[in-house]
Amino acid sequence: MRLIALAASVAGIAVSIYLTAVHFAGVPLACPTGAAVNCEAVLSSPYGVIAATSVPTSVAGIVWFAISTILWLWPRGRLPLLWSTVGMVTVIYLVFIEIVRLGTVCVWCSVAHFLVLVIFIVALTRSVPQADAGGTA
Amino acid sequence: MAAKRPQPGRKGAPASPRRTQPMRKPVSGTPAWVVPTAVVGALAVIIAAFLVYRYYTTPLPPKPLAPDTTLTVISTLAGVPAARSDTVGQGSADNRIKPVSGATLTGSSGKPEVFYLGAEYCPYCAAQRWPLILAMSRFGTFSGLHTTSSSSTDVFPNTPTFTFHGATYTSQYLDFRAVETEDRAGNALETPTSQDQALVRQYDSSGSIPFVDFGNRYAFAGAMYSPDLLAGMSWQAVADAAAQSGSPQEAAIVGSANLMTAAVCRMTADQPSTVCASPAIQALEKKLG
Repeated sequence: MRLIALAASVAGIAVSIYLTAVHFAGVPLACPTGAAVNCEAVLSSPYGVIAATSVPTSVAGIVWFAISTILWLWPRGRLPLLWSTVGMVTVIYLVFIEIVRLGTVCVWCSVAHFLVLVIFIVALTRSVPQADAGGTA
Repeated sequence: MAAKRPQPGRKGAPASPRRTQPMRKPVSGTPAWVVPTAVVGALAVIIAAFLVYRYYTTPLPPKPLAPDTTLTVISTLAGVPAARSDTVGQGSADNRIKPVSGATLTGSSGKPEVFYLGAEYCPYCAAQRWPLILAMSRFGTFSGLHTTSSSSTDVFPNTPTFTFHGATYTSQYLDFRAVETEDRAGNALETPTSQDQALVRQYDSSGSIPFVDFGNRYAFAGAMYSPDLLAGMSWQAVADAAAQSGSPQEAAIVGSANLMTAAVCRMTADQPSTVCASPAIQALEKKLG
């Protein structure tokens, strides 16, 4: 389970670095464009940068996944669960922005959101006492 | 006869063997599948709630205005006094205009041509048409412009705007040609020529719209301000706000129009001087390079 969270954290860093690099290089994103899916519309919207800065939101993604990687390399108590809860709440906010405010979804952002979800599920599963194999609930 | 071991329990109660080890380990936790299922289920409910909220809060597209009312809106927009325009300068507009080099783009009358490529569904095109119409109205006259709004299902839904489809433009200084590729529902409308497509490929590698080429001297793609600034407004409200000093719409629309006016003035050798000699336009021309 820990390896899954670790792999998701590293994959999240890679996705966030790609989005940040595309932002600063000003090159087109590899992403289908339509009414429901439009990475360009999401990333070039006012929500594509951290409020009151010109720093792309994906930089926050790099930081979050990097800390997550460290926490899963050396797990300490409930820290991974707390950190992944912070990530999950942020993901729900960002999904709200995509669906309600912008009315379109960014595929790359959704990949990053999915990775946060995986990490959150692993953290939550580890923190909940598990039934023995073969036991009945 | 073996002696009986003393038995615990009530006096006189039947003896029973003492359990020192449980027969079976008690169930103390949750099956592994419960947590992932619960989290994914909760997330699905949240996303469904967002979709329902979006569905019920997306405004219906406003009904296009009658031709007479449209003319009133355009008059209000084009009536921004030159003194106000000078005060605004670039305003809050994002200067996306870049110098380009190529054979001078000329129109059917042989005059330098401004070429626009966009689509009616596109919210960024919707935002950019306002300052484009204002800028071009300083050099000539549009006829046949109709009001419309961007797609209801795209980002920044129902942004109020005009369409260049079916409109004509006359000017003694330059030509203007527009291609609206799709209507607001995404149906094909006009097809760019192979030369148009080559132009876009050359100067707009990302393929973003709107794309505007100023006689192959300058070009830009995208909107110079966020369509969000026009959200929920009627056409007349946008025109009034653009003409109202100090409003955010004035800063965005008039500022963008001034930038494009400066690019056009470079094409027309600063003609007419009533437009191009203004201090703000001269300053922006220097900024364009």
